[in-house]
Amino acid sequence: MAPNVEQSAFFQQQKNKGVVVVKDPPKFDLESYISNYDGSTRIHRLHHIGASSTYLAIDAYRMAIAEAKRGKNVKSYLALVEDFSSIAPDDSMALSDMAWAEKKSREVKEEQDKLEHELKSYKNNLLKESIRMGNEELGQFYYACGDYTNAHKAYYRMREHCTSNKHLADMTLRLVYVSISQNSWLALQSHLVKVDASQLKGEEKTKLDPIVSVCQGLAHMCTSNLKEAATSFIHTSPLFLTLEPASGITWQREVLSGNDVAVYGGLCALASMDRSQLQTKVLANGDFRNFLELEPHIRRAITLFCNSKYSACLEILEGYRTDYLLDVYLSRVLATIYSQIRTKSIVQYFIPFSCVTLEEMATKFQLTGEYASIEDELEDMINSKVLDARIDLVDRLLISPPTNPRYDVHSDALKMAETYDHTLRLRLTRLNLLGAGLEVRQDKNQNKESLGLGDSIGASLRGLGSKIGFQ
Amino acid sequence: MSSAELFGVLVSFQPDAPEVQQKRDYDAQARDFVQRVANIGPSHFLKGADTSQDLLDMLSPSVNTIGYLFTLRVRIAAQAENPKSQKNIPETLRPGGTLWNKTVEFLENADPVQLRYVGAEWRKLVEQVETIARIIGSPSLAISPIRSAMMRLDPSTGTFTLTHLHFVRLCVETRSYSAALPILDNYIHTLASKVPQAVRENVDCAVACADHTNSGEYIHQHSGHTEKITLAEVQEYYVLGAMSYIGARQFKKAKQFLEHVLVTPTNNIANGLMLEAYKKWVLVSCLVDGKYTATPRTANPQAIKQVRFASRAYEALATAFEQVNNLPKFRAQVNAGRDVWADDGNTGLVHELREQQVRFYVTGLSRTFSAIPLSNITGAVGGSVEEIASYVSTLITDGKLNAKMEQSSKAEVGVVLRFFLDPTQGPLAKTEKQQQQALFEQTQRTNVLAEQVKGVDYRLTLTKEYIDQLKRNNKKSAGGVGDAMDTTWDDGLDDEDVMGDM
Repeated sequence: MAPNVEQSAFFQQQKNKGVVVVKDPPKFDLESYISNYDGSTRIHRLHHIGASSTYLAIDAYRMAIAEAKRGKNVKSYLALVEDFSSIAPDDSMALSDMAWAEKKSREVKEEQDKLEHELKSYKNNLLKESIRMGNEELGQFYYACGDYTNAHKAYYRMREHCTSNKHLADMTLRLVYVSISQNSWLALQSHLVKVDASQLKGEEKTKLDPIVSVCQGLAHMCTSNLKEAATSFIHTSPLFLTLEPASGITWQREVLSGNDVAVYGGLCALASMDRSQLQTKVLANGDFRNFLELEPHIRRAITLFCNSKYSACLEILEGYRTDYLLDVYLSRVLATIYSQIRTKSIVQYFIPFSCVTLEEMATKFQLTGEYASIEDELEDMINSKVLDARIDLVDRLLISPPTNPRYDVHSDALKMAETYDHTLRLRLTRLNLLGAGLEVRQDKNQNKESLGLGDSIGASLRGLGSKIGFQ
Repeated sequence: MSSAELFGVLVSFQPDAPEVQQKRDYDAQARDFVQRVANIGPSHFLKGADTSQDLLDMLSPSVNTIGYLFTLRVRIAAQAENPKSQKNIPETLRPGGTLWNKTVEFLENADPVQLRYVGAEWRKLVEQVETIARIIGSPSLAISPIRSAMMRLDPSTGTFTLTHLHFVRLCVETRSYSAALPILDNYIHTLASKVPQAVRENVDCAVACADHTNSGEYIHQHSGHTEKITLAEVQEYYVLGAMSYIGARQFKKAKQFLEHVLVTPTNNIANGLMLEAYKKWVLVSCLVDGKYTATPRTANPQAIKQVRFASRAYEALATAFEQVNNLPKFRAQVNAGRDVWADDGNTGLVHELREQQVRFYVTGLSRTFSAIPLSNITGAVGGSVEEIASYVSTLITDGKLNAKMEQSSKAEVGVVLRFFLDPTQGPLAKTEKQQQQALFEQTQRTNVLAEQVKGVDYRLTLTKEYIDQLKRNNKKSAGGVGDAMDTTWDDGLDDEDVMGDM
């Protein structure tokens, strides 16, 4: 079946669009993986897996379609079925159930009318609390239908009717949730700031903190701020794993699971921190250890990196590449994260040496397919000033250049002095001209005159320019 | 007046005489003397010419400078007043003739202090030398005398006069670029300006004969050494100076000269010379640094925007040049803009860029490789291994590359280019002593320069505008006096523009 899937129109199209398509089977089991999640993120994740893995496509789409049929989002159902029909046209689920769709659409419309009608009557009666709840219900309804923009609007309308800090925090969390579904990371960040700034105290606050830091980490990671992402993730309190639903959302099931936090945090830390930081901030971090225990291989990879066993560390990560490519958020930044870890490993590996043969480098760091040879990769790294080394193509060595700080300081000083000298001269000219009252003015006559002069000089030097002693 | 009497008058001023040892006395007597000599009718000077009683033989150019100059001027005027064509210039005045030789001798040996009192006569003499040389069709013959004259008057040649401009024009026209360098290398520290009457009379030691550190004290518009200077003339000097440097292949200095044009104070508008300068500056920056960097910070942003707008083709070329690994793109840009370069007279520079691009490629390799077979270079640059080998060896001998070439022991690798990684090794290595010496010299230069900047800053405080502004500031707040420009070492790159709000 697999080759069939791979040849299907859908995956051909994906390839043409430049989407990464994974062919290898992942290490996880789809059933148990998806059972970690609830709510809309299930469809979202299944859809991503189905659209990226040829191996799991059929199973994932089937589950996603079944899931969609239980919900109110007709549009998403139709889209899934359409995709699926171009992967496996003969499958029984590849035919869209139009009767269900029509019935569902009608029901949804009725429910919307009802909710809007209710809200209107609350408004007429100026019942503050009811207006707030009405809006909330409407928002939840829109969210379930997949209309995130309207959901966002509805939640936002709750603001003026919030009477306590708790209400405000609830509303903002709902906005956070919608922003995550919309993948609008900047909006997410601004909402998170508001949650953080809400004046909740004591227990309420400790409950919200883990949610904020996880979402913050997600936002940073998706905008490729790996360093900030790592910091947010590794400071997440283990409370997150056992948190009660906040604002009616079970965050560790409907957004990110504890495993996700471990993987994201671990990878971002590997990509952005040096060895001592990894040791003190990640491995010795009591809070984050709870997460790392969920994903022991990430812990192993970090330990290996700290122990300078870079190739073993990279090997582990390479083994999980497929899995991570199937993760809905990680897949987008995985290439960046992996290449940063690799680059860092090479740099760290090379530090204690004055000279390493290229062959040794090539065996220690297996090529990932991005470069044709290890020389090319190293050359790129040196050119982008990541690696301080020189390549000897004759004896096939990577050489660490000798440093001579005394000489460098001297030549820097000389260079700076020359620059300063020149700057002073320029100032001198300027001051002199100003002192003599000479200035280019927007005076028409003078302007014309000076332009004319420029032309005439240009003309008189024209012939000359082409001849200036260049044999 | 007989010629003996005249001679008596002309030698009556003796710069070494005991009664003029005080500078104030010297000043008064010298002025008096100039007045007297100037009032003697020209006919008296002509008596006894070309005889044994010739005044020019009896007077010494270095002692009786003032008298000699007047005599010389009258004699030249008698031979050829305002000559228009070759016919009007007698043999004696042509280069090699006696009068010409005497003029040259005078310009080279005159007493610099006395020359301060006869600025106008001196200037006319210099101009005549130029005119004569031009009319007889070999202007280059005037270069050396004019240069000596300028050096004689002011060894620093740092006070800008129109003679500077005429001199550089002459050099560029005759393509005697290296001849211009001794003057160009001395930077302009003062513009011969109009010093307010009150200041000239009241400031101490303002007498022209004093031992000034700044030649601007005795060369100004009242001293007659120059006529009124306009902005365009100053700019033209720098543009032409830059062209001379380009001609002499000293691109770094050329770049610095062009920057002087770019920082011209302006009321948010650029003029033609700034445009010319910017175009050349982009190209020369590439030749110096391999890329075009930011314009000097003191430049007016609005004006720079205007010239940049008009120099798109150059910036595109420079961008292509920066990508050293993409030679074909650069060549395409060169061809695409061929008419533009030709119209602006920059074809030569663009050609030079093309020549130098390989150099930047090879230099860039030294940042990545410690040794590379030449055959790898030909892959990117084109050409045969032999061509590259000879090119690289010229780079090494010219001191552009700290590397050596060697034959590899492996036959298939061939010739290898090996860079010296340690800056203290290889042909370009500098010892610590050399570096220290260079640093020391630079410190001295900078200190002199800083003094001069302070001087200008002081002179600025004498202008009417400054005082008006000061008054206004004082009215606004008691303590609102602008600080003087800070010329200490540590914050040289900070933007302190004393005149910013004027």
